[in-house]
Amino acid sequence: MDKIGARFGAIVALVAMVFSLRSAPAGAQAVPKQLRIAVGIDADTLDPAGQTTTTVANMVDYFFETLVDMDYAKNEVVPRLATQWQTSRDGLTYTFQLRQGVTFHDGTPMTAAAVKSTFDRLLDPKTKVPLRGALLAGIKTVDVVDDTTVRFTMSQPNPLLLRNLSYTTTAIISPAAVARAGDRFSLAPVGAGTGPYTFKEWRRGESILVERTPTYWGKKPSFEEVLFQVVPDAGTRETMVLAGNVHLAMLPPAPDIKNLRKNPRVTLVEAPTDRVIFLAMNNQWGPFKDARVRQAMNYAINKKALLSSMLFDLGTVEASACPAMMFGHSPMHEGGWPYDPAKAKQLLAEAGYKDGFDVEFLAPKGRYIQDFEFAQGAAAQLRNVKIRATVSTMDWPTYVATITQPVDRSRTQMFILGWAWVVLDCDGVLFGQFHSSQQPPAGLAAAFYRNEKVDDLLVRARTTVDVAQRATLYKEAQTQIWNDAPWVFLWSQKWYVATVKNLEGVRITPIEKWDAIYATWK
Amino acid sequence: MGRYVLHRLALALLTLGGVTVVIFLLIRLIPGDPARIIAGLLASDDEVRRLRVELGLTQPLYMQYLIFFTGLLHGNLGLSAATRAPVLEEIALRLRPTVLLAVSSIAVATLVGLAAGIISATRRYSILDYLAMTLAVLGVSIPVFWLGLMLMLLFAVYLHWLPAGGYGTLASFILPTIALAAFSTGIIARMTRSSLLETLSQDYVRTARAKGVPRHGVVLRHALKNALIPVLTVIGLQFGTLLGGAVLTETTFAWPGMGRLLVNSILSRDYPVIQGIVLTFATMFAGVNLLVDLLYAYVDPRIHYG
Repeated sequence: MDKIGARFGAIVALVAMVFSLRSAPAGAQAVPKQLRIAVGIDADTLDPAGQTTTTVANMVDYFFETLVDMDYAKNEVVPRLATQWQTSRDGLTYTFQLRQGVTFHDGTPMTAAAVKSTFDRLLDPKTKVPLRGALLAGIKTVDVVDDTTVRFTMSQPNPLLLRNLSYTTTAIISPAAVARAGDRFSLAPVGAGTGPYTFKEWRRGESILVERTPTYWGKKPSFEEVLFQVVPDAGTRETMVLAGNVHLAMLPPAPDIKNLRKNPRVTLVEAPTDRVIFLAMNNQWGPFKDARVRQAMNYAINKKALLSSMLFDLGTVEASACPAMMFGHSPMHEGGWPYDPAKAKQLLAEAGYKDGFDVEFLAPKGRYIQDFEFAQGAAAQLRNVKIRATVSTMDWPTYVATITQPVDRSRTQMFILGWAWVVLDCDGVLFGQFHSSQQPPAGLAAAFYRNEKVDDLLVRARTTVDVAQRATLYKEAQTQIWNDAPWVFLWSQKWYVATVKNLEGVRITPIEKWDAIYATWK
Repeated sequence: MGRYVLHRLALALLTLGGVTVVIFLLIRLIPGDPARIIAGLLASDDEVRRLRVELGLTQPLYMQYLIFFTGLLHGNLGLSAATRAPVLEEIALRLRPTVLLAVSSIAVATLVGLAAGIISATRRYSILDYLAMTLAVLGVSIPVFWLGLMLMLLFAVYLHWLPAGGYGTLASFILPTIALAAFSTGIIARMTRSSLLETLSQDYVRTARAKGVPRHGVVLRHALKNALIPVLTVIGLQFGTLLGGAVLTETTFAWPGMGRLLVNSILSRDYPVIQGIVLTFATMFAGVNLLVDLLYAYVDPRIHYG
């Protein structure tokens, strides 16, 4: 026995020795050539036009660039491939002057003809552009004025156009590269962008590699290469950043956030976003037809308590249906809808539900931060005012199929949903969630809220060019929606990444992207 | 023998044909619209409808099956709904990591399991026996994702010996192999022990001992060969378990294999890819079982196929 033990010990020591010869743990050391980022999902397409998921668009942003950029601190459109632009007074023509001397990674110059060909492709129904209807509404033609000037002609004004042109979908691509790649463009967009990094290789299911563009027109990033490693499990992503195998990991597990904030080996970068989380009530179902019941629901749920006890403060209570970051946001009540169970009971009694009612409560699991967990917390709070909610969950595709049934077939009573828009404008959430034309199956306004005044305000706001007038329209719409309470207004989520201590200058944008192109190594 | 193999091959093909029907119908029974999931919540209804036509989802079910089946006969599994790349290509890219992981795990499980089983059986009720069997029970009972995370914490975060996840270097194989092999090792060890104990109590073993054959010779040459038949069956079956376990292990260790592709495809209702992977798994499983059947004849000459 002893002999075997000794032999075993020797083997362990030997193995330990062999492996300790491998690279020393990541920590204080020279600037790595390659920055490694653990992402939660693999790309489905690298074609900017085909983007549907923010994280994929986030990677695509490393090698493609749009005409304009967003300054999120000021919520302003700023130049990128276009240096300046003029809008006609009627909002029907936009003229852009392009940055001179910019070339695509394949060497062809970025000209007005390339911009035109990019938009012709985006508007062509044969190209798969899931966000076409949402981002490109109203564009009639895009014409070349001269080599560095393009003109957009609109069939109707679209006050969102400039902001839309900052989103990945509308990135300018090299027509030559598209022609060369043919069917394979979405899998290997070689040389097609103008960005600070150049696309190198996509190993599907495993990683995407980009390398610094030697001829980039703007500021050069610090790292020679960036590797996006696909790590679907949040716990593994956290482990990998703790072990120094990656330098940045998106969304580590929420329950570990408190420890990560204190951990001296990593930096947790967190920031508010425009993803609003709400509890939608089916406004055409039983008790929820009565606005007083819906208001009672808002009084009965303590959002602040749920946020701190179940979401580790990864959110901010919202004071309107349109989150605070967006243009047009108008706070309805400081600190959100007040928590007042007595008032809730009183309203329920007035509506004839003194003894409460039973309701089925759907919540997804793992889609939003602590979604299923906080739904159970909310259900417990509702029980205090005698509303008996039974929480159940299902996988995401089934969930979507369930809540997108048309009203006459819908079996939903109340459910959790999160909504974010890729540009910061109230139109993105209010039109999609409250305009009656957007009810399932056409859209995802699954609370089945219907108000003619709101319908009218929302349509006018998306076709009016005047900024001040739009803000007024949105204020009016938000007031009406707040008072009608089609949702229990909850909070907007934060987005977060964990990075190794040496990595500095990583930021989070309000549209759930990390911004690390110009991160540096300390 | 040749006829037996042909017979078995024909049966396997028939089984695979059945698998195509079952999987085709099963995945279409789960609710969820692939077009909506792939286009995303923010896509407009027009785009979703266009995608539905493009994916052939507007055709009647039997037509969808016919298209799938005739494609299959031509060696064409269709295009992935999510990436629009050929399904065969998607699978080919992931086949290698999965097969390498499954093979290394079955090798480790067989070697360690056999060794532990032999030691346990020959030193019954010793400390070593108890230790080996306790470890075997633990291996069978610990969920692979938990074991995976614990291994990562120890070897990647605290000791910095091995990478926490990812695929490529030899070192990257060690943790996923241990995690995936744990269950099968336990099963094989217990099976070897009980099978060997039974053989060791047989008369011919006593005779061999009485003749003066040394102890290790009796165990390894006389008893083990006879004890091996049920163990072989278990090893063959474990291969199926390993393919199933790969789904979890690959997710935990960020391993770019077929198991993870399968999970993702189910979550995005990517019908063509799900069909392709299930068919591949079924083919591999059928192949291994055929191999095990043939090995019986090698281990036990009394078994004849004709």
